[in-house]
Amino acid sequence: MSDDAADVQRVLAGDVDAYAALVDRYYDRCARFAVRMLGNRDDAEDALQATFLRAYRALNRYQERDRFSAWLYRILVNQCRSVAARRAHRERVFVREEAVLLNTPDRTPVWSGEDEEFVQRVLTELDPLLREAFLLKHIEELSYEEMSALTGVGVSALKMRVKRACDRLRERWERIKHD
Amino acid sequence: MTDSDQLHPYVEWIIREARRPVVSDAEARDRVMAAIHAEPVPRRIGVWQRIFAPRVFSLSPVTGALLAAGLVGIGVIAGVFTSNRDGRASVEQPPVAQVVRPAVSDTVVKFVISLPRAQQVSLVGDFNDWDVAKTPMARSAHGGLWTVTLPLSAGRHVYAFVVDGSSWIADPSAPFAPDDGFGHANSVKIVGRGSSL
Repeated sequence: MSDDAADVQRVLAGDVDAYAALVDRYYDRCARFAVRMLGNRDDAEDALQATFLRAYRALNRYQERDRFSAWLYRILVNQCRSVAARRAHRERVFVREEAVLLNTPDRTPVWSGEDEEFVQRVLTELDPLLREAFLLKHIEELSYEEMSALTGVGVSALKMRVKRACDRLRERWERIKHD
Repeated sequence: MTDSDQLHPYVEWIIREARRPVVSDAEARDRVMAAIHAEPVPRRIGVWQRIFAPRVFSLSPVTGALLAAGLVGIGVIAGVFTSNRDGRASVEQPPVAQVVRPAVSDTVVKFVISLPRAQQVSLVGDFNDWDVAKTPMARSAHGGLWTVTLPLSAGRHVYAFVVDGSSWIADPSAPFAPDDGFGHANSVKIVGRGSSL
């Protein structure tokens, strides 16, 4: 039995604190996806809180034959979609004055900087479906089969989304270079 | 595109930066666990419960139509064998018991929100006439968690939390309701029959 499965069994036996081990094991990885996907930490924390809460409520439906991480990620991806949809209603958009970064004298700031906000801004510009596929593939390093199981989207469609995301980023670089 | 396709250097740079771990709020995990402690412990589901658990089946329109036609056919055949020519039933039927539906009873619902910095939180909604004074919430033993439990009738309820008497916020763990026209974000809770704790 894996550590995850053992922790789940402990929780179901009434040891609620065993859930903290699962939270500790997966919080950082989930946080990275949520922040990169949603573009800001407040929304990401909402999604994370809801993800761990929903996973806890549904823990008795978790099947041991599934990987806990994949099961948790499926919930996380859905929660990020929900939070993004709510945010669209509120029109609370992540704002960053990118021009400041792009108009520095040597015009090559993106290569030298390690500005997390800048990367966030670039990712936020991608269409959400492209961003989601790009993050799962290149940041979380999942296989297309794993991504398909998480999102319910076919492998060929996911490959196309990842390719389009990479194309958009490359086009963006071309625009910056010629400005 | 295959996994081994050469990526543009700019794309590679974005990937490298985005793979950096995110420094999360040190208290965020505590808030997760505080919310978990406010929840009932999930119970194991036995084998029989798994087998007989209600499931949702989806049928294509064609399958659905065929199934409906089959059921109608069975009904017609059953009618032919149980009726006389004048259409009356050949066997005396026992009086049909009147279906007694349970009254729409109140359901006990628990509301929880994590607001560590709040001094005072109350619950407002269509069930208390949006009155800030009617349903104050209590701070739990786990830091910034605020809870209140109250009976609600079955159906759809729109609600929000009021922080320190003035700030209206929606429940981050519930679906949002359309804007109420006053700029407030509200949440929706669908209450069924029975305890919702």
